[in-house]
Amino acid sequence: MSPADNMSGLQHVVLNERGRLLRFLAARGMGEDAEDVLHDLWQRVASTPTQPIADPLSYLFRAAENLVRDRRRSTVSRDRRQQEWHDAGTTSEEMPQGERALIAREQLREVQGALAALGPRVELVFRRCRLDGVGQAIVARELGVSLSSVEKDLQKAYRALAQLRAKFDAE
Amino acid sequence: MTTNAQIPEIKEAARLWAIRVQDPAFADWDGFTEWLEADPAHSPAYEAALDDADWAADLLARAPAPVAEPVAATAPRRPWWLGAGAAAAAAVAAITGWSLLDHDAPAQQVATAPGEHRTIDLADGSQIALNGATRVTIDPDTPRHVVLDQGEVRFAVKHDAANPFVVMTGGTRLLDAGTVFNVVRDGDALEVAVAEGAVIYQPGPGEVRLAPGDTLKRRGGGAAPVLGRADPQTIGSWASGELHYDNAPLEQVARDLTRSLGRPVRTADGAGGLAISGTLRLDGSPDEIVARAGPFLGVRFTRNGEGWTMSPANGAVR
Repeated sequence: MSPADNMSGLQHVVLNERGRLLRFLAARGMGEDAEDVLHDLWQRVASTPTQPIADPLSYLFRAAENLVRDRRRSTVSRDRRQQEWHDAGTTSEEMPQGERALIAREQLREVQGALAALGPRVELVFRRCRLDGVGQAIVARELGVSLSSVEKDLQKAYRALAQLRAKFDAE
Repeated sequence: MTTNAQIPEIKEAARLWAIRVQDPAFADWDGFTEWLEADPAHSPAYEAALDDADWAADLLARAPAPVAEPVAATAPRRPWWLGAGAAAAAAVAAITGWSLLDHDAPAQQVATAPGEHRTIDLADGSQIALNGATRVTIDPDTPRHVVLDQGEVRFAVKHDAANPFVVMTGGTRLLDAGTVFNVVRDGDALEVAVAEGAVIYQPGPGEVRLAPGDTLKRRGGGAAPVLGRADPQTIGSWASGELHYDNAPLEQVARDLTRSLGRPVRTADGAGGLAISGTLRLDGSPDEIVARAGPFLGVRFTRNGEGWTMSPANGAVR
């Protein structure tokens, strides 16, 4: 398959599966922006450096999911910037860099403690899957455990982290 | 909508979807769409799950990995992670080994055993005294920031208005505006008492300024702080090897003795609120201290396993 064929191929899939992708984007909370995101996706797959893609539809859903996350993230950080601007003079003055680092360090220590309490593998599995982006099947092979053990480790980790975060938010 | 997103089953399901979608091999996009459509609470719950994992991943990304190198996929079935797991546990225990977010020098963790007292001179001339079963984190780069992880510390701070001394404990900030104060962290409960100078609790809107003799108690992370008074002479007196009480509840005596003796000291049923005045010296063995304490405090100590139970000396034994 030539690169040009592959590119137009993906765009072709976007056209063919437009309904399914839009439905996903709507369910994902994009509402009236769903068309907008689909347009972004269309442009993105036009300029994607091509390599053979095993499952084009899954590839597009993945790309759509990433676009949603990017949008959410930029909305959140814009809101945060506005909030900081609004609060300027109080928080930024009173929370010097060193102190912020101190809070982050304390939180990190508690995160590591919470993961360590779940067993020797959990932090490693979380890091490999979440930070390194390695597939769960590969991590399972690396560790010599079953795929479902990896998923269970991740469930334990996510559960504990959610509890920890809620605790920090309450403080 | 947002309340449904708080239902534990929905949160758990959302986390599982977050885990599965994250996997590069995930392909069940239609199933995911159907789940999202099934309840308007699902999408926000899924976002929250992503957000929590992102938060932790960001923190972890700044700390060194628990093992040096991920083992290649060619590794045999031998459970090599047993060794790696031990290394990971060691990395957590020896917290001093981790690199700082924005400085080179490692933070130091200092801990005392139950019953042990320890005094530390900080680089800025301040002095902190650790009561038993206490742990603090000190970063040599920022000597005027101390984290109290658990236990009780008496701070004697060299005041510098331009560079305030800050105590962090469980997300709560205490800003020194004076000299001598005592902080107890017991789980999520917090107690602050000021002997000299002033301390600002949670500086910012709604801050509380504590003057000499002021005490602040907070039962848990979300609870409202309760203000009280104490004799400034008695605050943090344990650090000088004596416990002073001026109409203090017996349960406070029990807690102080537990920390200083390293043995559990309880109060008999209904006796925790008994008002105690007097002074107690902390030298000698736990048995000697307890033997002296009884007459001084007007309480009877009864052996209870490793420790003791205190009851009013003139009351019936329970």
